[in-house]
Amino acid sequence: MTLVYATLGVIFAPFAGILIAGLDRILTARFQSRTGPPLLQPLYDIGKLWGKEPMIAHRFQPLCAYIYLAAAMVSVGLFFAQSDLLLIFFVQAVGAVFLVIGAFLVPSPFSQAGANRELIQILTYEPLIIIVLAGIHLYTGSFKISAIYAMDKPLLLNLPLLFIVFGYALTIKLRKSPFDISASHHAHQELVRGVLTEYSGRTLAIVEIAHLYETILILGLCSLFWTTSVLGMVVLLALTYLAEIVVDNISARMSFRWMLKSVWSTGLVLSAINLIWLYSGGRI
Amino acid sequence: MLKKIIEHSQVKSPWLVHYDCGSCNGCDIETLACLTPLYDVERFGVLNIGNPKHADVLIVTGTVNKRNKKVLKQIYDQMPSPKIIIAIGACGLSGGIFREAYNVVGGVDKVIPVDVYVPGCPAKPEAIIDGVVEGLAKLKELQQASTPDTDAIAS
Amino acid sequence: MAGSVLLIGTAPASSAPALFASSAFTTSIQVADFALLGLILFFGIKFKNWIIAGLSLAQIALLAFFEFVVLKGGHAEPAGLFCDNLSLIMVLIISIAGSLIVFYALPYMEHHEHHLKLKTSRQPRFFALLFLFIGAMNALVLVNDLMLFYFCFEITTLCSFLLIGHDKTREARQNALTALWINSLGGLALLLGIVLIYTQLHTLDIQVVISQAKGLDALLIPLGLLCVAGFTKAAQMPFQKWLLGAMVAPTPTSALLHSSTMVKAGVYLVIRFAPAFEGTPLSAGVAVCGAFTFLSAAALAIGQSNGKKVLAYSTVSNLGLILACAGINTHAAITAAILLVIFHAISKALLFLCMGSIEQHIGSRDIEDMRGLFGEMPKTALIITLGILTMILPPFGMLLGKWMAIESAAGNLFTLLMLAMGSALTVVYWARWAGILMGSDFKGDSRPEHLPGLARLPLVSLLVSAVVLSMSAPFIYAKMILTDFSGTTAAFSVSNGVMANASGSFAVIPLFLIAIGVFLFALAKSKPGRRTRLSGPYMSGISGQENGTYIGPMNKIMGSAQSNYYLSGFFGEKKLSGIVNATAGILILIMIGASI
Repeated sequence: MTLVYATLGVIFAPFAGILIAGLDRILTARFQSRTGPPLLQPLYDIGKLWGKEPMIAHRFQPLCAYIYLAAAMVSVGLFFAQSDLLLIFFVQAVGAVFLVIGAFLVPSPFSQAGANRELIQILTYEPLIIIVLAGIHLYTGSFKISAIYAMDKPLLLNLPLLFIVFGYALTIKLRKSPFDISASHHAHQELVRGVLTEYSGRTLAIVEIAHLYETILILGLCSLFWTTSVLGMVVLLALTYLAEIVVDNISARMSFRWMLKSVWSTGLVLSAINLIWLYSGGRI
Repeated sequence: MLKKIIEHSQVKSPWLVHYDCGSCNGCDIETLACLTPLYDVERFGVLNIGNPKHADVLIVTGTVNKRNKKVLKQIYDQMPSPKIIIAIGACGLSGGIFREAYNVVGGVDKVIPVDVYVPGCPAKPEAIIDGVVEGLAKLKELQQASTPDTDAIAS
Repeated sequence: MAGSVLLIGTAPASSAPALFASSAFTTSIQVADFALLGLILFFGIKFKNWIIAGLSLAQIALLAFFEFVVLKGGHAEPAGLFCDNLSLIMVLIISIAGSLIVFYALPYMEHHEHHLKLKTSRQPRFFALLFLFIGAMNALVLVNDLMLFYFCFEITTLCSFLLIGHDKTREARQNALTALWINSLGGLALLLGIVLIYTQLHTLDIQVVISQAKGLDALLIPLGLLCVAGFTKAAQMPFQKWLLGAMVAPTPTSALLHSSTMVKAGVYLVIRFAPAFEGTPLSAGVAVCGAFTFLSAAALAIGQSNGKKVLAYSTVSNLGLILACAGINTHAAITAAILLVIFHAISKALLFLCMGSIEQHIGSRDIEDMRGLFGEMPKTALIITLGILTMILPPFGMLLGKWMAIESAAGNLFTLLMLAMGSALTVVYWARWAGILMGSDFKGDSRPEHLPGLARLPLVSLLVSAVVLSMSAPFIYAKMILTDFSGTTAAFSVSNGVMANASGSFAVIPLFLIAIGVFLFALAKSKPGRRTRLSGPYMSGISGQENGTYIGPMNKIMGSAQSNYYLSGFFGEKKLSGIVNATAGILILIMIGASI
């Protein structure tokens, strides 16, 4: 049964990802008083990239892209199989590392700088996500997703600050301003497209598909904060994503030093407060 | 099915890279104006991607001179096909008023093949958008002319 | 020479678990103890290092007090040998990884001495010391008598001193002396701990001590001293200085010190005594100290571009993780610690040996100089990259251990915060290194890669064993680790290669199968096709003929310089060392203080 869920999840995740990304672009356009692209625009982009002439900058680059995709797929599959949260996260990290290695392979300054910045982004969000997961463990007594679904109250009520911390990680992972430091969605800037500069054609399409999977995974993790009703889950996800788009539109890109300092300090303080509150409130 | 999607997508998502060969910036301003909310070319999936390796459409403004023709050639070479080239403004078309200058090579088509010519000094944004749409029709032709991408479909 | 090495090197690997025997050579050990301390005192005086002299004098005095006043010249009951699966695992690690390193050392030392232009070979001394070292380590993990343990502990100290100082340069001597005084401090702590334990329990039998110490608050101080001894051996903050200095020695020495011997002695000591202080404040203190070392050493590694230093800090950091697990001290955490010991030994030996080959080939140990090493030494570059990946990625054993560690630390707020941050830092400094190796734009002098078979063989076999052992981790757990925890319920259930318990599961074998499948698929798919075009890097202008160059003003070809972020503003050694050492010192004091 879990295998069926996992397979279904892996098959449908990219389509859901396309719809979410399309909606994202339309909403962003509306915020800027534009009409925006069609809803299926991300699908068109990927389809077009897939059909382009194969062009690579290094022989191992497609390998890295494929492993990135595979890791993202496996982590989504594990998520829908209601597996271990930490394991899901570590599998996801394989993909992140291979994306960076792929960018490191090519001696273009944009790609190199992007790869280094991507590493700093990983450095910034990884502890936060591990702490959030550990907070969930503290509350439910398990790292398994099935244990969260067994709770009768939504996690958000007891882990509100951890949800905010998770929001930081979400913003970094979705490559939204102010944290679109290693590769922004819009490439007309000093870093060209940073970590993605040297991926092109089908390799880039693979990276984009993997990014769709990651979006689904990270939103899936987000949904764990409200598991008691479907309506609550949808509302929470919609509000969170809307907040992400608003933040993306109202803020500029920041430097990685600022990101590391501000996110770590805020994130660690917020999560420490939440965890201590859990401890002292006798809620666990 | 997959082949259809890919063929359909190829005209729905033109990502462009804009290269200023030595324009007076008139045409550049008009080109960038297309991206503003007023004209909003993202309606057609157009994105200014800034990286030849990701781009499908190369928009060139200004006269080509002996110095920057190599850069122009390089950008062209770094774009994966299918790709279309749009020359913008009088200078891009023929060298314009700089045509006779000692260092000027001439129009863009002296260096790389141009698919669409958008005249004007400067070219109007509407004309540029029209040029891109025209280019997409060409892209479709290019696609039908070339042999179907079989291994893309197989995988 | 080669034949004898072959024999001696592989002989311990076949050692049977039935090595139970009691020995009646206590007197000779007592004499040897004094001789050993006398030798250390001699080195202290010879090199005018009064700290060493003082520490060894203190040890001699304490030992004399113990032997003649407490024991009244008689013998304690000899406790002989004890071999459970923990010892067996240690023996296997020491003997197999140790022997592979010795194999590697054969061609390496030849090249090394050739490079130094020595007239008379000093290899016999070097190899004799290596074997003494490996032998002492084997004895150390097998003995059941605290005085014998102390004796082996001191032998490893002395061996490491002699091996680090092997090249007799000024720097080598200085660093060797640093190693000697820090480890003598550990030796003193160990001896003091042993004396205190004896005055409480009147036994030197390790197993008896462990079983009787439970719930005895008075024993926490001596146990704490044993932990401090373990910390110095395992080069935990603030004692990390000696291990960092040890890299001046020839690479086989560093590989041995960092992977299977020496530092593992400290870790073994703490893991061995962990059941004795389960659930006490001391245990929590060890966990916090270990986690702090894990975090701070990882942070310091980020600021380094010297490859050997990165490796050294990574060793310190990973040992911190192991000790944190020992401190968390649940069944799952101890399992994590043992798995980490195994996988760290293999991967780290591999990385050090690769590093040695690279250094001999390109003449630099700076990571930046290894940019695009794949174009220069494809095989070694591939091996070291894979070795690095086994350190940080699932489904390999190191990550399995880290997963277990974080799962078991989840109830432990401060330990958890530090583990989470340290884990992210670890990924950064490894991924950064792995990334630049596989490019192919090597800028140094190009010479064809030539590595003797005897040097290549250990590299390949270490890599293969890292992968195979990672794959068989569930079985190692079920067959070897689990049996040591008699009477408790298993922390993990193993079925179909999935390790699971109430709080999580790690599908080792399925993930491995997926990983292998994906890797082969990706390899097949990424083979450049007929129509694939190879394009140069995007240089935002006109690229030069060579990768990474562009045509600059006046048609000149300009190179581009790239460098990784080392963030010395955040993680520089100068910036962090002082604070880190002070904090670590205070943490250790708190750890000891908490046990009073």
